[in-house]
Amino acid sequence: MVAWAKQGHDAAFRELVRRYERPVFSLLYRMVRDRALAEDLAQETFIKVLNGIKSYRPEFKFSSWIFKIANNAAIDHLRRKNIDTLSLDGAPSAETPEQMRATSLQLGDRGESPLDEVENRELGTAIEQAIGRLRPEYRSCIMLRHVEGYSYEEIAETLDLPLGTVKTYIHRARNELRGYLEDRRD
Amino acid sequence: MTETTLHLTTDEIELWAQGLLPAARALHLSECSLCRVEADRERKVILELVQLPHFAPTAGFADRVMAQVKVPTPSDSWKA
Repeated sequence: MVAWAKQGHDAAFRELVRRYERPVFSLLYRMVRDRALAEDLAQETFIKVLNGIKSYRPEFKFSSWIFKIANNAAIDHLRRKNIDTLSLDGAPSAETPEQMRATSLQLGDRGESPLDEVENRELGTAIEQAIGRLRPEYRSCIMLRHVEGYSYEEIAETLDLPLGTVKTYIHRARNELRGYLEDRRD
Repeated sequence: MTETTLHLTTDEIELWAQGLLPAARALHLSECSLCRVEADRERKVILELVQLPHFAPTAGFADRVMAQVKVPTPSDSWKA
């Protein structure tokens, strides 16, 4: 399909959008937690991918290339807007309890009122809310691992992260999710 | 410590949740209540994650994308 698109077939471009619009939009939506914004970023991602299709290297998985561009768009947006999430573990690099406390974020840093979350029906389930509380780096790793079924190695390649970092992020993310979900059940 | 007495690592618990844990390690799980509790907690969250749905963008998304994409013509391909 990509080779066909590279030859300039409009139908191939449309097919690539059709195949990947839901996974890409879902990743972005869960990253930025705003439908309109996620759609803008998804549009930006596809335009960048399709206009740059000639630079695509076939040794790299096409879906990984799209997810890489989408994730970068989301992370850039979150950095620009200084929207961040509450994390019980603090910065990913934090190793001691003191470092974790010093770098952990407060609820108010999320730029999202509790009412916004309640109003957001699609992301309103317990698991979606718990995902929304993860730091963005954890969120993209956990989505690629469990929603898209990527291996740790594929995630490392897609997000340009060392394999050990990916494993750490995913383990910490699941640990935080368990904590949120179990607190909610108590 | 043998293969059947070592506690499961996080990676092994994930393998177990996917039904891919080797038999010797699964034997440990059946005998170790600590690992079983940990594995059950982990499996619950993994199950919730794998059942998450994909969301769709609004109708006309592809058209809006295509309106801003320059599809290369065959002559562009010759130049590349």
